[in-house]
Amino acid sequence: MKRMSVGAHIRSLLLAVYALLTLYPLYWLFVSAFKSNQEFFRHPYALPREPVLANLTRAWELGGMGRAMANSAIVAALALALTLLLASLPAFVLSRYRFRLRGPIMAFLLLGMLIPIHSTLVPLFIMLNRIGMLDSYAALIFPYTAFELSLAIFLIAAYMSSIPKEIEEAALIDGMGYWGVLLRLMLPLSAPALATVAILAFLRYWNEFSFALVFINSKSLKTLPLSLTLFSDGFGTDYGLTMAAMAIAVLPTIVIYLFFQEQIMKGMVAGAVKG
Amino acid sequence: MTNAGRLKLFMISCLAPGLLVYGLFAIVPIVWSAYYGFFDWSGIGEPKYAGWDNYASVVREPLFWRALKNNIIVVGASILGQLPIALALALLLNRNTWFSRTVRSAVFMPMVMSTVVVALIWKYIYHPQIGVLNYALKLVGLESWTMPWLSDPSVNMYALSVPIIWANVGPYLIIFVSAIQNLPSEVDEAAKLDGAVGGRKLFSVTLPMMWDTIKVTVIMCIAGSLKAFDLVFVMTHGGPAHTTELLATYMYNSTFAVYRYGYGSAISTLIVLVSAALILFSQLLMNRRSSS
Repeated sequence: MKRMSVGAHIRSLLLAVYALLTLYPLYWLFVSAFKSNQEFFRHPYALPREPVLANLTRAWELGGMGRAMANSAIVAALALALTLLLASLPAFVLSRYRFRLRGPIMAFLLLGMLIPIHSTLVPLFIMLNRIGMLDSYAALIFPYTAFELSLAIFLIAAYMSSIPKEIEEAALIDGMGYWGVLLRLMLPLSAPALATVAILAFLRYWNEFSFALVFINSKSLKTLPLSLTLFSDGFGTDYGLTMAAMAIAVLPTIVIYLFFQEQIMKGMVAGAVKG
Repeated sequence: MTNAGRLKLFMISCLAPGLLVYGLFAIVPIVWSAYYGFFDWSGIGEPKYAGWDNYASVVREPLFWRALKNNIIVVGASILGQLPIALALALLLNRNTWFSRTVRSAVFMPMVMSTVVVALIWKYIYHPQIGVLNYALKLVGLESWTMPWLSDPSVNMYALSVPIIWANVGPYLIIFVSAIQNLPSEVDEAAKLDGAVGGRKLFSVTLPMMWDTIKVTVIMCIAGSLKAFDLVFVMTHGGPAHTTELLATYMYNSTFAVYRYGYGSAISTLIVLVSAALILFSQLLMNRRSSS
C-alpha cells in the first residue's frame, strides 16, 4: 500500500479537480447572483466583495420569478399526485396477477420509454388545441403524467413484487376486499418505491421545458424554466439579476438532491437503462 | 357478483385510468402526427389534404439533412466523450469510500438541474466578451485561440457537445461503477495469479467482462442524444443561419414560428423513424460484433 501512495495521491487530486470542474459552473452561478453588475464585470470570477441581496429580491418581483415558481409548484404537485395514483393502481395489478393481457400491456408501456418526446410536440399541440386545453395547467399536467407513467409503473411494480404474498392472502381471508388490500396494505408497504417515483417525477416536472414552451402562452401561466429563458432574453445584460433568477430556480432541486442522492441516482439510472 | 367477476372488475378499474391517460397523451400523438403529415394546416380553418407533399419536401430539404448530421455529431460526441470519461472515472471510483461517493455525487449533480439553467450557464461560459473560456485562454497566453464559440460554424456544434457531455456523465458513471462492483472476485484473483495487473488486466480482463454493459450504454447514448432539444434551443435556437439545427429544433422552427403544422407533423414522424432506425442499427451492430 505504501508504495502506491504517491500515485494514489495524484489520482485523488485529479479526481478532485474533475469534481470541482463539474461543480464550478454552479459555484459561479451562486457567486454571481450576489454581485452587482459593475462588480460582475470588474471581477467576474472572484468572490463578491460586497454581497448584494438586491438581485434576488428584484428577480423575484420584477422578473416574475415568484409567479413562475408558484406555477411550477402547482403543475408539479398536481401532476405528481396524478402520477402516483395512475401508476400505483396498474403497478399492483401487473405485479400480482398473471393474465392474458399482461404481456401486451407491459410492451405497450415500454413503448412510451422509447418515444422521442419531442416528436409528440406538434401532434399534442394540435390535439390540445382541438379539445380547448392549450394554455392551461392541464395542458402540462396530462402530458407530463403520461410520459412519466411507464417508469413509475415499472419501479412500483418491481417493488411490490418483492413484498411477500402471504400478507395479502391473510388480509383477503380476513375479509378485506381487493381495494382494502391495495389501499390500506400494499400502498403503505410500497412507500419507499412511491417516494422514489415522487422525487424523480418532481424533478422532471420542475425542470421540464419543451412542453411548457409549446403549450403555454399566457405570461401568468409560465413555469420556471420558461420564465428563465424569457428573463435572459429581457434582462440578459444584467448578469447579476439573471444569475439570481437561475439560482432561485435551481436551489430547490439541489436541496432535494442533497437529501435523496442515492434514490435519485438509482432511479434515474433505472429510467435511463429501460429507456 | 361472482368472485372472479369482482376480481375482473377490480383489475379493469385499476388499469383503465392509467392506460387511458398514457395512451391518449403519449402514444396516440405519434399515430396522429403520421396522419397530420398528409395535410396542410396553418392553425386556422380546415386542414387541406396534401398527399405525400409534406414528407417529400422534408426529405428534399437540405436543412433536414444538416439537422440529421448535427444529431449524429451529438451522438458521436456522447459516445466518444461521455463513455470514456465515465469509464475512466468508474475505474478510479469503484470503492465505496467517502471520497469516491463525494466525487460521484458531484459528477451526477448536473442531472438534477434544469437543462435551461445548464444551457444559460454555458452560454455565459462561451460568451465572446465576458465568457470564462476566452478569459482563461487569454490568461494562459492563447489569445489567438479565443473565438465566438457559439456563432462560428466550424466549431459551434462541438462547443454545444461539451455541455451535453458535462451534464450527462453521471448516469454512465453510476452504471459502470455498479458493473465493476459486480465483477466476480475470483476473476480478479485469477488475474492476479497470472500476473495480469494494471493496463494488462484492464484491457484483457476488466473491459471484456464489461462488454455487455458498454453495449447498453452505447445504445443509451444514441437514444439520449436525440433528446438534446432543450439545451441547443436555449443556447443557439438552432442558429446562426441554422448551423446548429438538430432534428427537434428544425421541427420546432419550421412549425411554430411559421404555422406549418402539417409539415411539422411530417418531420415529427421522420424523427420517430430515424430514432427507431438508429436504435435498431446500433443493436444489430453490437450483436454482430460480440458474436464474431
